[in-house]
Amino acid sequence: MTRRLAVFAVPFAVLFSGALAAPAGPPTPTPPSKAVASIGCVDCHLALDDARVSPPAKLFAADIHARSGFTCASCHGGDPRAEDQDVAHDPKKGFRGKPSPKDIPALCASCHSDAAAMKHFNPSERVDQLAEYRTSGHGKALLRGDESVATCISCHGAHGILPVKDVRSPVYPTRVAETCNRCHGDATLMAAHKLPSDVYAKYQKSVHFEALMKKGDLSSPTCNSCHGNHGAAPPQVGSVANVCGTCHTVFAEQFKASPHWEAFAELGLPGCVTCHENHAIVAPTDAYLSTGKDGKCVDCHEAGTEGARSAAAMREDILTLEKQILAAKGALQREAEAGMLVARAQFDLSRADEALTKARADVHLFQPYAVQQTAAGGLTIARTAQAQAALIRHERDFRRKGLVVALLLIGISIAALVAKIRDLDRRKSPRSGS
Amino acid sequence: MDTADQEHSRRRWLTYLLGTSLGASLVSFLYPILRYVVPPVSSEPSLSEIELDVKASDILPNSGRIVPFAGKPVILFRTAAGELKALSATCTHLACTVQFRGDRSDIWCACHNGVYDANGTNISGPPPRPLTKLDVAVRGEKIVIRRA
Amino acid sequence: MSSDGPERRAAAARLSPAAWLRDRIGWDGIAHLAAKKEVPVHRYTLLYYLGGMALFLFLVQVATGILLLLYYRPSAAEAFESVQYIMAEVPFGWLIRSIHSWGANLFVGVVILHMASVFFLKAYRAPREMTWISGVLLLFLALGFGFSGYLLPWNTLAFFATKVGTDVPAQIPGIGLLLSRILRGGSDVTGATVSRFYGIHVAILPAITTLLLGVHLVLVQQKGMSVPLSVEGTKPRTMKFVPDFLLRDMVGWLIAVGLLAGLAAFLPWELGQKAEPFAPAPAGIRPEWYFLSMFQFLKYLPAEIAGIPGELLGILFFGALAAILVLVPVLDRGASRGQPSPWWNRLALVALAGALVLTFLALLPPPGQVKP
Repeated sequence: MTRRLAVFAVPFAVLFSGALAAPAGPPTPTPPSKAVASIGCVDCHLALDDARVSPPAKLFAADIHARSGFTCASCHGGDPRAEDQDVAHDPKKGFRGKPSPKDIPALCASCHSDAAAMKHFNPSERVDQLAEYRTSGHGKALLRGDESVATCISCHGAHGILPVKDVRSPVYPTRVAETCNRCHGDATLMAAHKLPSDVYAKYQKSVHFEALMKKGDLSSPTCNSCHGNHGAAPPQVGSVANVCGTCHTVFAEQFKASPHWEAFAELGLPGCVTCHENHAIVAPTDAYLSTGKDGKCVDCHEAGTEGARSAAAMREDILTLEKQILAAKGALQREAEAGMLVARAQFDLSRADEALTKARADVHLFQPYAVQQTAAGGLTIARTAQAQAALIRHERDFRRKGLVVALLLIGISIAALVAKIRDLDRRKSPRSGS
Repeated sequence: MDTADQEHSRRRWLTYLLGTSLGASLVSFLYPILRYVVPPVSSEPSLSEIELDVKASDILPNSGRIVPFAGKPVILFRTAAGELKALSATCTHLACTVQFRGDRSDIWCACHNGVYDANGTNISGPPPRPLTKLDVAVRGEKIVIRRA
Repeated sequence: MSSDGPERRAAAARLSPAAWLRDRIGWDGIAHLAAKKEVPVHRYTLLYYLGGMALFLFLVQVATGILLLLYYRPSAAEAFESVQYIMAEVPFGWLIRSIHSWGANLFVGVVILHMASVFFLKAYRAPREMTWISGVLLLFLALGFGFSGYLLPWNTLAFFATKVGTDVPAQIPGIGLLLSRILRGGSDVTGATVSRFYGIHVAILPAITTLLLGVHLVLVQQKGMSVPLSVEGTKPRTMKFVPDFLLRDMVGWLIAVGLLAGLAAFLPWELGQKAEPFAPAPAGIRPEWYFLSMFQFLKYLPAEIAGIPGELLGILFFGALAAILVLVPVLDRGASRGQPSPWWNRLALVALAGALVLTFLALLPPPGQVKP
């Protein structure tokens, strides 16, 4: 053990001279080779087999910082070569023990906000996380002295830190929501901060959750997509449309061109969230335009007002188009089941589905005329498809009529044959000799 | 004798009926067969290769359109340099139909702002995979699309 | 009457074209033989029509098959599309193709019925053993036609059914893999398999069938119609083959044509989806109904019995059954002596019942799946 330590002691001493010299200063950004790792600290801490001090040592082996050549001492200070605990943990050697939550952001930032330092490892890595954090709800509360909020290690972990792109990382897109939920689902903790604790449950009902978790679409939003990563804070009321619009560009543009844009701003309504909710975003239906219990327009537009009439008109156009498309699909399906080939007609009809989708999107212009135009285009296609189905039906009937004719002829032939057979038999019977 | 004559004529009538009905039946079998043997106007059966209705000169440089191919939409476009290309028009994100943007010479999906370049490579937005390439062959004014 | 010489030549000069033709092809001799042919009339006479029906349906298959091959293209890239083309673009293509597909099933069904009736009537007893043997071989050829033809549209169902079907001979030790390779035209079912099955379906099998059918029909004419044992000894009433039996045959044939046309118009044969060799097999893959009993039987065999793969034992079992079927006239001593052979009948009934039960079981939806 002593010999091993001695072998590495010299390069260690050279490279960590900086750390040894000053107490809690930033570690030198040129670590020794990976083989050294944190031999000193890890060996002891593992051997102790204590639930408090052993897990970090076990976890650190998988940590990305370990792979980049950092050691326990890089963050905790102290002397990793020492065998004696007092020496290893000597504050004069820079040992700072377990950092308190309020010190953590600065500790991590000592490297991660240093552009020159980060360039050594990953030139395109961002270095503004601390600045962002300070704008976040968590950062602001921490500055006020609230240590129950999230810091870097709350989400990234402390010792087995994996890159974000690693699927096992707690901040990999499919795991972000459950990571946030560790605190944001804790009713007591949330009550203390006057925040709801059912957000994750709501998010699980959403189409975004389904797309991300069940369909594996990593572009689907999770908590940090809308709230930000390090500067995590809910978007302001006026920002909602922009935030949703980063993906739903068409709807955002339409909404901004619509009369609702200014009206909502005046009323302080939160843009898209007004009708679509913020966390439990479910698939919208045409019922949103109705006056029933799912109706959204009626929340503001009383019956008889122009707004209510517009909503009704848009709904009417969309439902009519949908009905005609279904009729066309049904007719073609019937022909397909009867064995006719309908592929071309079905392809042409699919353009009508696109028109229906676009009509539903055009609702966000909140101008009935726009929806009417789009729906009219789709109606033409649907009616053409119905006509095509009728033609195919006509062909099918022709086949059946042709068949009836053929069967009739066959039937007559059979009857004639049978008569002939009877006649021949009669001729052979003893009555009249052959 | 009367009955013998009657018998005779009935027999003749029967044979006549039999012959005629069998003959007519035979015609009803032969008619479809003869029609079948004459090839239809569009003599290329293969849907792995389709000749399009649109003429090559109809597609101007830096423009594109959607055409059907084996029941699925295909985006047929001409680059600014004049080359005719075809890609599957089904966006690899959530299957919306993409469109060609002449002002940017790229392919855009209106649903969630996915962008592909003229080679079909997904360059921006949510699409996870490029668009499938298809072969385009031009014979005079005729455009033929084939699976790559 | 005819003899070479000046007399004949003089006579020939006075012949009408029709009469000249008749003379040169020896029509009178054939007509004479045909006129002599008599068919016994008894309570089982109806079963005699099955042979002619099988022949008629075979000819329907040949005719529609020839028409289909005017448009069909035997390659993985074009097979499916060419069948789609026939169904959608070619005038009456839907009719020809559906008749061919339905006709194949009808044909196999009638061949099986014909074989069953010949079996139970003991028509295979001496001197008609070779007629039976050639007939059973023709049955195997018919099944071969069915199996090879099934792949040709290159749709999902056909692809996977062929994959499973050509996996079976691979189980045979030693030559199994080689056999499977020869069948498939490679180690997997690919476009090479389509080409090969096409060649088998339109050239190889028809050539062999023509020969064997010729032998079978000549033997039938040579030996005359057999009568059941109960009728043997008595002198049953007979009817002339031409025109009485033939006219009745024609009634049956016309009914068959009407049935096929009706099926084509009301229950057209489906096209399915184009085969995608790398996609996973969909649920519910199964071969045509005439292979279902064997298919189901193989499913019940355990993976291994006494160290021998279960499937191999299954194949050997089928091989043994086939051998017994071929050799029935030789093995059934009773019949060859002109005596009833009740044990053979019972064995056949058990086998038939078993096949029916297995077929029925194969048609049920798999457990835990609701049939759509």
